[in-house]
Amino acid sequence: MSSVTFIGEHLFWGNLGHSAVVVSFIASILACLSYVYAERNPLDKSWAIMAKYAFHLHSLAVLTIIASLFKIIYSHYFEYHYAWQHSSTDLPVHFMISCFWEGQEGSFLLWIFWQMVIGQILVRTAKDWLNPVMAVVMLSQVALTSMLLGVKILSYKLGSSPFELLRNVMANAPIFKLPDYLSKVKDGNGLNPLLQNYWMVIHPPTLFFGFATTVVPFAYAIAALWRRDYSKWLKPALPWALVSAMVLGAGIVMGGFWAYESLSFGGYWAWDPVENASLVPWLILIAGMHVMLIHRATGNSYIVAVVLIITTFLTVLYATFLTRSGILGNSSVHSFTDLGMSGQLLVFLLLFVLLSVFLIVLRWKEMPRSAKDEDIYTREFWMFIGSLVLVISSFQVTLTTSIPVFNKIFSANLAPPADVIAHYNKWQMPMAIIIGVLTAVAQLLKYKKNSKDALKKMGINALISLVLTIALFFAFKLENYFYLGLLFAGVFGIITNGIILVPFLRGKIKLAGASVAHIGFGVLLIGVLVSSANKQVISLNESGQAINPDFNNKENVENIYLERGKPNKMGDYIITYVKDSQNWVNTYYQVNYKKLNAQGEVDYEFNLYPNGQINPKFGLVANPDTKHYWGHDVFTYVSSVPAQKSGAKWINEKFHEVAPGDTIYTNNGYAVLTGINTNTDAENIDEKNFQILLGAELKVYTLDKVYDAMPMYGVQNNAASSYEAMVDEAKLKFRFTGVTNSKKINIISYEKDTSGDFIIMKAIEFPMINFVWAGTIIMIVGFFLSIIKRLQEKGI
Amino acid sequence: MKKTSIIALAIIAIAIGAIVSMYGDASTYEDFGVANEHPGKEYHVVGTLNRSKAKFYDPKQDANFFSFYMMDEKGNESKVVYHNPEPTDFDRSEKIVIVGSMEGDHFEASKILLKCPSKYTDNQVKA
Repeated sequence: MSSVTFIGEHLFWGNLGHSAVVVSFIASILACLSYVYAERNPLDKSWAIMAKYAFHLHSLAVLTIIASLFKIIYSHYFEYHYAWQHSSTDLPVHFMISCFWEGQEGSFLLWIFWQMVIGQILVRTAKDWLNPVMAVVMLSQVALTSMLLGVKILSYKLGSSPFELLRNVMANAPIFKLPDYLSKVKDGNGLNPLLQNYWMVIHPPTLFFGFATTVVPFAYAIAALWRRDYSKWLKPALPWALVSAMVLGAGIVMGGFWAYESLSFGGYWAWDPVENASLVPWLILIAGMHVMLIHRATGNSYIVAVVLIITTFLTVLYATFLTRSGILGNSSVHSFTDLGMSGQLLVFLLLFVLLSVFLIVLRWKEMPRSAKDEDIYTREFWMFIGSLVLVISSFQVTLTTSIPVFNKIFSANLAPPADVIAHYNKWQMPMAIIIGVLTAVAQLLKYKKNSKDALKKMGINALISLVLTIALFFAFKLENYFYLGLLFAGVFGIITNGIILVPFLRGKIKLAGASVAHIGFGVLLIGVLVSSANKQVISLNESGQAINPDFNNKENVENIYLERGKPNKMGDYIITYVKDSQNWVNTYYQVNYKKLNAQGEVDYEFNLYPNGQINPKFGLVANPDTKHYWGHDVFTYVSSVPAQKSGAKWINEKFHEVAPGDTIYTNNGYAVLTGINTNTDAENIDEKNFQILLGAELKVYTLDKVYDAMPMYGVQNNAASSYEAMVDEAKLKFRFTGVTNSKKINIISYEKDTSGDFIIMKAIEFPMINFVWAGTIIMIVGFFLSIIKRLQEKGI
Repeated sequence: MKKTSIIALAIIAIAIGAIVSMYGDASTYEDFGVANEHPGKEYHVVGTLNRSKAKFYDPKQDANFFSFYMMDEKGNESKVVYHNPEPTDFDRSEKIVIVGSMEGDHFEASKILLKCPSKYTDNQVKA
């Protein structure tokens, strides 16, 4: 050990935190085993008591870990590697919360925290299912807390502790030989600028709460197999499945909203592996939930329900493995870095997979099943088909996302499809159509038996929807006929569920959660369809400037070069980069948009302030700014800015010989000589000494404005002198240098060198994107209504 | 045949379709040599920036034209054209992955992924 005594370290908090990790780990093992024994010896109450106290001790330890870590980040104790790597002194408090989960350890901690909270709720509500369910939850908690241990067992490092000291992580750096090394570590590395966004404060906790809740239906399903009690678990598990679906869904869309608001890939969904990894469990959960309902209503499809609910949790673990083991490597922009825990993560995943497979196989023959063939005129049949489509959809997403895993297993060299979006859309679009249509069909049919009446209703609704779809197809100016199907699926779902909803509107709305959620899905479908099909890059280069013939421009020419103060035409807009301003570490670029109407007149105008942060560690990190209208968004971000601005310099000096009425052309606009003023009354010039004093009256036209300018020319004591006129906003300067014999005058024009003062930006118009958010919110409301209904059925 | 069996068969067929499509659409990591033999076919190429040759980006002339020279992992060099602004931090990249195809004398990249040394693991304290 080192013999140096270091000055200024705050070792207490790290020791406290690390001890708390060890305590929480051991207490969770104890709790898990005690719950197992309590389940196996129902007459011996001591195990249950032991389990309860072990779990409370575990909870306390978890809170202590969080408090210690937060204290370390909040107080800027940079002797701790976590604080040094993920925070800095200039961060506002709400971003310190984001620092908390920027690293792997902190995000595991967040998961552990939620799972602990869920355990506390279960302890109070699970009643006779308490022991087996908590045993499973605690097993998962054991696995998660082990990720934070950071303890070497033999030569294997188990977990990664957030309380590691900087001087231990980088033991070889010479600076740590100095006792007062801390006085030299003045600031931390800071938070990744992309995470410096308020959505990053609430998106991760929501998503992780969603992930954490999937353990509950899983635990119930496992408990049921364990106990051989195959029916009673569905009722308490269903509200949890609904909560999970609601929160996870909200978390995923928040992630999309974060991407849309703060990332510059220009959209809310990019089929990135990390996004896919959170989508897959959600899809399977939705499928599983529907099959649970089928089983409750008809007694069929038990095994499928169990398998899907179990798979939901397993896909959460698989997602964790994918995003945290470093296996995604180059294929994702935002996976975590490898902390050397891939082995441990794999064990975590395999442990639960084997446990599940073992139990399912063991109980396979005992599980309830129905022998009769399904009748296709029933709700359950189509709900089942819909669930299967969801499963296939998630299977396809998992498959392509797992390409790096296949590479590892089969040592292949496959790469993700070059056009990832087209690849996924090709599969997911038809499935979305089927699911949208089924939300209407299944909702119209009753369970078990149906009269011809339902079919008639279905026909009428389909007809109304078809007419409306065709109208909307032309209203939205869609072109691809594939979209007709998707649009129909959305409209059919909304209309049918809307009609079903109407009788419930008076007071019984909470019985109609399913209809509300399905309407939300329909709205979401339409929003996704129209906003991506009609998404339009408006920053196309239309200036007609001489473009180097070497550049064989393709269609993907989507960025526009904007000099400060020089208006540019872009689609139906005239845009001008007005100025920049600094706020904290961010530079905001004011971009003025003037919307032109069909006559070419300015209809309305607005300003956007996309910002960029020249981060010493990450380079330019651009955050977009978006103007929201109800029917469309104008989305703008800077894709490049000059590193350093140059000073004012006048270039492109051009000589013109003009008579009144003639035009002077420059790159920044043109000027018309309207007249020559012989009666100038310019300030600051002593007119009396002039033999001649002439003013050139110029009207300067830029793309969106007109300015007056009057350069002057005078002869004074037989010497000529010129006075320049500057049009600052147009970046032009004129100099009147003389009069020719042919009654023409000489003018020199100059343009301001703005080569160092420009932005390169991209602008995209997203129509109907509000439908995406509105659809999500309606869907969440639907889930919420269903949760209330199920809880009341349960009698809580 | 029972409906359940029909459904099961349909699912197996679709699942196989998904696997085939994944395999068919997947690009592969190749070098410039392979890309050269199949012009127009999309590949991922991994390599490093050739710093001894000048890169070109003049936003004033064309904000959407960026070209540079890259060496693949076998040491073959090719000119790469990217119709987008120069990615920030490009000079600091230690590894580049480009996605695109060979077009005539150069590689048309539709995507550039940079691996920068510092992004998350800048474990160096400046004393």
